[in-house]
Amino acid sequence: MDETDEAVRSIHGPFFHPEGKGSLRIVPDHRETDQAGPDAFESGLLALLPRLRRFAHGLTRDGARADDLCQMTVERALRSRDQWQEGTRMDSWMYRIMRNLWIDEARAATRRGQTFVDEEAGEGVGADGGQEARVALSDIDRAMARLPEEQREAVLLVMVEGWSYKEAAGIIGCPVGTLNSRLVRGRDALLALLGEAA
Amino acid sequence: MSISPEMLAAYADDQLDGAERAMVEQALAQDPALAQEVATHRALRARLVAHFAPILEEPLPESLTRALKAPPAPQTATVVSIETARARRREREARSPNPEPVTPEPMGKAPARPRWAIGAGIALAACVALAVVIGRPAMVPASNYAAPELAQALDSRLSGEQGGSGPQVLLSFADATGAVCRGFAGSQASGIACHDAHGWRLERRFPGVTAQEGAYRQAGSTDPKLMAAMQDMAVGGALDPAAERAARARGWTAAPPPTSR
Repeated sequence: MDETDEAVRSIHGPFFHPEGKGSLRIVPDHRETDQAGPDAFESGLLALLPRLRRFAHGLTRDGARADDLCQMTVERALRSRDQWQEGTRMDSWMYRIMRNLWIDEARAATRRGQTFVDEEAGEGVGADGGQEARVALSDIDRAMARLPEEQREAVLLVMVEGWSYKEAAGIIGCPVGTLNSRLVRGRDALLALLGEAA
Repeated sequence: MSISPEMLAAYADDQLDGAERAMVEQALAQDPALAQEVATHRALRARLVAHFAPILEEPLPESLTRALKAPPAPQTATVVSIETARARRREREARSPNPEPVTPEPMGKAPARPRWAIGAGIALAACVALAVVIGRPAMVPASNYAAPELAQALDSRLSGEQGGSGPQVLLSFADATGAVCRGFAGSQASGIACHDAHGWRLERRFPGVTAQEGAYRQAGSTDPKLMAAMQDMAVGGALDPAAERAARARGWTAAPPPTSR
């Protein structure tokens, strides 16, 4: 992965890759100097992947984009492994990387005039994919898609990912009180949306 | 004094201690509406956890694991995933003669086939929770602990493991005390058992799930109740396959101090 790829990607969209998804590869920069099988860092990262994928799904609301976000997060973590200190928590560090990457992508998309209109995308899925796909977008998906980004991440980190308020605030980089109030607003919005849907 | 929505949420998420906690509890005792709000908050949380839980069980994309030089996962851990993948592949093949799209998907347009969402959840749940192979009577209902056959399944089987007779184990999780609990479904009974010094204590019981021999069937009405009961009891969601194997290696005793909540 070189800088050209990054540039191309940022032109075309958050997770669009010119070679197509199937050819997306991770080539960590340290590979040449790093011998042998998975080390403690990589094993730790590997063990976190299921949780990171869940968080990515929640953030992106799309399986393909979620896996691309995971991939970017892993790449970034491998490149930045010097910043991670053994003995400190790897999970919150990884969550923070993923969250920041996603926010960057979302902002870049907004600048390009693109929006993540999941509701419409979801309806598209239904129209293309037949009956099974039509039920795929649940009430929860639709409601989550309508939350502002800052409320959605608060809800995801606390209610789905199980972080404490303090930890979630640390991942986002905001005061605990801010996290708490975003969570309450996001929760209330979700309840209202789900109430309407019921 | 009045309790703010923020403080009430923090209480519902177990984020308060000491004086604040006591204050909320006192208010809850006097105001049923507040107690209802706490219940609503927790119910939403459980619903969200359940909604996203299937993703934890999905096989990791090879592109991700390859980057980490992962050794191939042991077969037992991927049985569910393989079934899921097969089910999805059949589903895809039935819909389209082309196996996988290779063209990049433009941004803003959803992929033609949802790769996760509840679709994956349903597919997974159908495999994990509902694939019940008929077996001999699973337990002695009079006892508060799992009978030998069920206990043996709970001791040895990983969640979603297929084949053999007897009850299937659906999920493993830690309850509020840290004890390892497992949801199971069998022809005689379904329920939740938690491990303690005496064995597998039966915490919840539901009717058995009837099944055609060797066939997978759709959900009966007990399954959502069982799933909901597990969500109510679980602290921190279902154990992932690695955590479950670790728990089995420990003899299903409570996990050491967690590295994450």
